[in-house]
Amino acid sequence: MDHLSFPDVTQLAVPIFIAAILVEFLWIAIKGRGGRYETRDAVTSLIMGAGSVASGILLGFIAWGFFMLLWRITPLDLGASVWVIALCFVLDDLRYYWVHRFGHRIRWVWASHVNHHSSQHYNLTTALRQTWTGTFTFMMVVRAPLVLLGFHPALVLFVGGINLVYQFWIHTEAIGKMPRWFEAVMNTPSHHRAHHGRNPRYLDCNYAGVFIIWDKMFGTFVPEQESDPVDYGLVYNIASFNPLRVAFHEWVAIYRDMTQPGLTLKQRLAYAFAPPGYSHDGSRDTSETIKAKHLARTPKDLGTPGF
Amino acid sequence: MPLELLLSLVIGGIAAIAVILHLTGRSRPRVMTAAQARQAWLRQFPEHPADQLTLAENGQAALVTCDDPTAPIGLVWSFGADTVARTLQDTDATRSKHGLRLRFADFSAPQVLLHLSAAEADSWLSQIVAASATTPAPKEI
Repeated sequence: MDHLSFPDVTQLAVPIFIAAILVEFLWIAIKGRGGRYETRDAVTSLIMGAGSVASGILLGFIAWGFFMLLWRITPLDLGASVWVIALCFVLDDLRYYWVHRFGHRIRWVWASHVNHHSSQHYNLTTALRQTWTGTFTFMMVVRAPLVLLGFHPALVLFVGGINLVYQFWIHTEAIGKMPRWFEAVMNTPSHHRAHHGRNPRYLDCNYAGVFIIWDKMFGTFVPEQESDPVDYGLVYNIASFNPLRVAFHEWVAIYRDMTQPGLTLKQRLAYAFAPPGYSHDGSRDTSETIKAKHLARTPKDLGTPGF
Repeated sequence: MPLELLLSLVIGGIAAIAVILHLTGRSRPRVMTAAQARQAWLRQFPEHPADQLTLAENGQAALVTCDDPTAPIGLVWSFGADTVARTLQDTDATRSKHGLRLRFADFSAPQVLLHLSAAEADSWLSQIVAASATTPAPKEI
């Protein structure tokens, strides 16, 4: 089965995205709660979303070529039955969890993903603040096992698209908590709000795409705490609405760090591939040191979720 | 979806959302009280509470001195509906028509134009220049 085609669900969802943003904004405006909107922030997020789609159109051939190469190599072909699609969706969500986790723990990948966290707002436009540089992280290799197991590349990309579309609606403050059974299994606005928090408690938690069970399995789940409202944005917030700066600021920072004089090769590589916040002289903070310093200031938080 | 339709949706959608947000007052800059500016500074630099804080008359920026003498002078300012803060070592500060223009050696925060009265601008500029001259090579905070 060499030729298989599925709809591009992310492109088809564009009208729904726009309508949902307008509905969310109206809801907030009428109710006076449930989130905040700011013009330049929202426009930047939307332009980042449009640029991400354009980047996919321009650079998508690289990942596609890689997957088709693997598809020619593998002797396995699972077809495209409903059960195979469902299995692929679940396995691809596990793939998403790990790519997302790498995206927060490896600076090279963080440089691509950071723009998604660069807004201090959390509304449906934030969901569309997507990367332009994902291809350069080479995280496409994490999808390789799926293709080698016999899932057609078109199917793998199709379920990946559904995964991204699912994640759109969870970028909102307008929804509090879903029913308990849903919160237990699925990624929800509450879980993902915590993921977008710059509070020490919420750093490096809730990497899930669709199923929150991965975080619970791998020890990265932190429930949103009423006692610690989520403060959205980056630990070190950027001060630009310019989409080019939003898209490339961390890549520029990596370049500047790696090309400092007087570093060893190991230190230069660590600036690219160690967790964000690494510095050769200990002058910066990683998630671990931020949490440790917070606990030194606030010892009562020790043992609570996230610490 | 045909590319023409996709482009029309994206461009039209972004434009419509931008116009609606602007017309409903979502473009107004944040105005801070001194207490809010102090909190905004602490939000960015929790280990370096502000000792002295000078709030701009328009409430959109504040100059911050920390109680730690080794910490450089800092600035917290309105960024849309939110705030950002930076220390001011390696900052190029110049007078501008509206107040002060600060250029940072930071790709993610290239510059900020502070709307200050002439007296404020002179005072802030002299403080920034004096702090740059006396602050020892600071640890990145």
